[in-house]
Amino acid sequence: MGPRTGLDGRTPFWTAAVRVFDLSLGEMLWSRRTILLLLLVGAPVVLAIAIRLLQAFGLPGMQVQGVRVAGPDLFGVIIWVLFIRFVVPVLGVFYGTALIADEVDDRTITYLFTRPIPRGAVLVGKYLAYLACTALITLPAVAVVYFVIVPPGGSIAATFPKLVVDLGLIAAGLAVYGSLFAFIGAWLNRPLIVGLVFAFGWEPIVMAVPGYLRHLTIAYYLQALVPQAMPQDSTVSLLQSLFRDLPTPATSLVSLAVIGVGFLILAARVVSSREYVLEP
Amino acid sequence: MSTTAAAPAAVIQTERLSKWYGQVIGLNDVTVAVPPGVTGLLGPNGAGKSTFLKLITGQLRPSQGTVRVLGEPIWNRPALFRRIGFCPEQDAFYDRMTGLDWVAALLRLNGLDEPASREAAARALEVVQLTDAAGRKIGGYSKGMRQRLKLAQAIAHDPELLVLDEPLSGLDPIARRHAIRLIRDWGRNGRSLIVSSHVLHEVEMMTSDILLINNGRILAEGNVHQIRDLIDEHPHTVHIRADQPRGLARLLLAADDVLSLKFGDGSVTVETAKPDVFYGRLTALAASGEAGPIHEVTSPDDNLQAVFRYLVK
Amino acid sequence: MAIHDQGYRRYGGHREPHGTAWTVIAMAGLRAVFRRRALLAVLLFAWAPFFVRAVQIYAAANFPQAKFLAPTADTFRQFLQQQGIFVFVVSVFVGAGLIANDRRANALQLYLSKPLTRADYVAGKAAILASLLLFVTWVPALLLLVVQMAFAGNLTFLRDHLYLFPAVTVFAFLEVTMITFAMLALSSLSRNSRFVGIMYTAFLFFSQAIVAVLAVVTGGTSLSWISFSADLTQIGDAIFHLPLHYDMPWPVALLMVLGLMAASCGVLAWRVRGVEVVT
Repeated sequence: MGPRTGLDGRTPFWTAAVRVFDLSLGEMLWSRRTILLLLLVGAPVVLAIAIRLLQAFGLPGMQVQGVRVAGPDLFGVIIWVLFIRFVVPVLGVFYGTALIADEVDDRTITYLFTRPIPRGAVLVGKYLAYLACTALITLPAVAVVYFVIVPPGGSIAATFPKLVVDLGLIAAGLAVYGSLFAFIGAWLNRPLIVGLVFAFGWEPIVMAVPGYLRHLTIAYYLQALVPQAMPQDSTVSLLQSLFRDLPTPATSLVSLAVIGVGFLILAARVVSSREYVLEP
Repeated sequence: MSTTAAAPAAVIQTERLSKWYGQVIGLNDVTVAVPPGVTGLLGPNGAGKSTFLKLITGQLRPSQGTVRVLGEPIWNRPALFRRIGFCPEQDAFYDRMTGLDWVAALLRLNGLDEPASREAAARALEVVQLTDAAGRKIGGYSKGMRQRLKLAQAIAHDPELLVLDEPLSGLDPIARRHAIRLIRDWGRNGRSLIVSSHVLHEVEMMTSDILLINNGRILAEGNVHQIRDLIDEHPHTVHIRADQPRGLARLLLAADDVLSLKFGDGSVTVETAKPDVFYGRLTALAASGEAGPIHEVTSPDDNLQAVFRYLVK
Repeated sequence: MAIHDQGYRRYGGHREPHGTAWTVIAMAGLRAVFRRRALLAVLLFAWAPFFVRAVQIYAAANFPQAKFLAPTADTFRQFLQQQGIFVFVVSVFVGAGLIANDRRANALQLYLSKPLTRADYVAGKAAILASLLLFVTWVPALLLLVVQMAFAGNLTFLRDHLYLFPAVTVFAFLEVTMITFAMLALSSLSRNSRFVGIMYTAFLFFSQAIVAVLAVVTGGTSLSWISFSADLTQIGDAIFHLPLHYDMPWPVALLMVLGLMAASCGVLAWRVRGVEVVT
């Protein structure tokens, strides 16, 4: 069977993207950075198991004013504080800014850009590989945390729908943050600092301030979809809860989709028009 | 290099092509038409060879001017890469993949399906004599094997035009000969190839059509012998080993085509501005026996090194 | 007539004594760093809080209505705390690639083939990051104390808070030393400076997030020693004689910080080698 080509002789966009996905997924999964990924998502699992064990032994210190924190509430805290406010943005910055930059640093970008495939397809294929790789590792970790933490003091049947929502939320967060940072990585020469300042500077500060600025964050739309109550664990989150006027879930979903798809398209366009000068 | 009405269309055509990086000029006002066949791109390190190759393979966008490859502009035209194969200079791979998997994966990006890509990859690896190592991880390859692997991925999809950036770097002498033969055969099979190098005698073995580049400018293009003929302001050196070098010298000095002479051990080295006239006279002298036996006539100038030295000065 | 030997001669001039090679690495590194305009912008911007505080001190000293703005020991403590964002940015910007880039370029072999010990190499690299971090923490904090004395026109504040000069110095140096060695250790673990930056971010912020979760579970902050930034905060409060933020003894926090420095030195001793055996 001869090569599948479009009318203009190049491999069609989505075929090319899928093939780049095939090529990149293995590279992403079996690389050293996966160790960091496993550490990041494994730490909440270890923490959940440790808390569960210590609570089971009735050790002091694992109770608030003599009352043990209920499983579903603790799960909500872990999901929000550890996964949505930390793991998801960090993975987005880590992988998203490196989609093209790593290929440029490793000087393997030449092989991809001298194939009859649109450059944008290279970016989209690598983005899909990032999404698959991170979701494959993160979502099961969340499920493990759920089954470890929730049963004591919580009904699985009653809270299972929340788990499904949380899994969807985390997947959406990975997709949207990844897309945003893919654009930042494609556009800027030093995307890491910008990405980190956005995720750990801009978002927490702006979310605590009333007004329209919160619409310029991703956390604002993710927050509207969180099924659990927000924890009041710090001044910032307390301020955030005071000034909270969240959009409807439907608005959030649409906004997240627009942000995700929009930045991915922008990133693909930047990659298509930019030239990459490799260091000798 | 003369063009006639029947001359084949150039595979690479540039018009006032320039590329600068900030204040550094990589390529400066290059207008060139590379004909079909094997062309050597020759220049010292930093001359602009890689910049030129990156421009003609669409990795860089011209700062000024135009570049057309196989009749079409190359920048942002991925479809052209179905007909072009590029072997880059840098030593960069996905080290965790095997050689076969890597070449096959790149062929899949060319649009081949899985079985066809593996078959084509295996064929290409056989051509570069990497069949035995095809199933090993690239991270364990030697430098020469990695170089041959690069060549394999460039030829695997049977392109019309091959662009090779220092393809012989890191190869042992046997592998070099094999690669040079492969390049010559590529041209004989009616396909085109442009190969860059700074190793003069290797380019001479591959082709006699060259582009000379230095400081971002094309100094000369065409057949190496034709280029040599054009350099008539530089004297042609002829080394003659004879039994009576002084007697021969006296006879040679009788005409005005000899600029200077130098005696060696049983030999005389002559500089002439009119090599054709000089060779005619020398042949007549040798035939008549007037200057005694003449054992050897050589010209250290009639090769690429001499041409390059003159032009790059 | 004397015929001079034009052949090669060994260098017979002055040589710096052994153990000063780290200064060469440090100076070269700082020169390279200062060529980056983005970093210069960050360093300049890092002094903006100093000017804001200086205006605050001036207003408090010269306008009776602004007496409430008068600085206390907490002012200087808070200033150092707030410079934390610039410490983070500079650490990632400059520190992440210090050793990682050398590993990527296989330059460690070149460095260590010179009359240069591993300690010289690490000290030189550490000096680059530490000097920049001190420039955005210790120097403006000390200057703020001088500004306070200058605008107040007397030494009353200094007499009442004599410990502030050593407190600022000790805390700034402790913070900078911890961060410098941690960053260098992380940088020695990878060839990719971006990866190092993320590891550092994870190391810093993830531990804070874990502590936040544990605070919800336990209803207290006794487990805050897990977070190194919480440890620094606790030590800072102790040094400045301020009420402690967390329910943990400050010696525990100090032990964690010293333990981190020791672990970082161990990682550096393991990773900074001229030859790497790959199996």
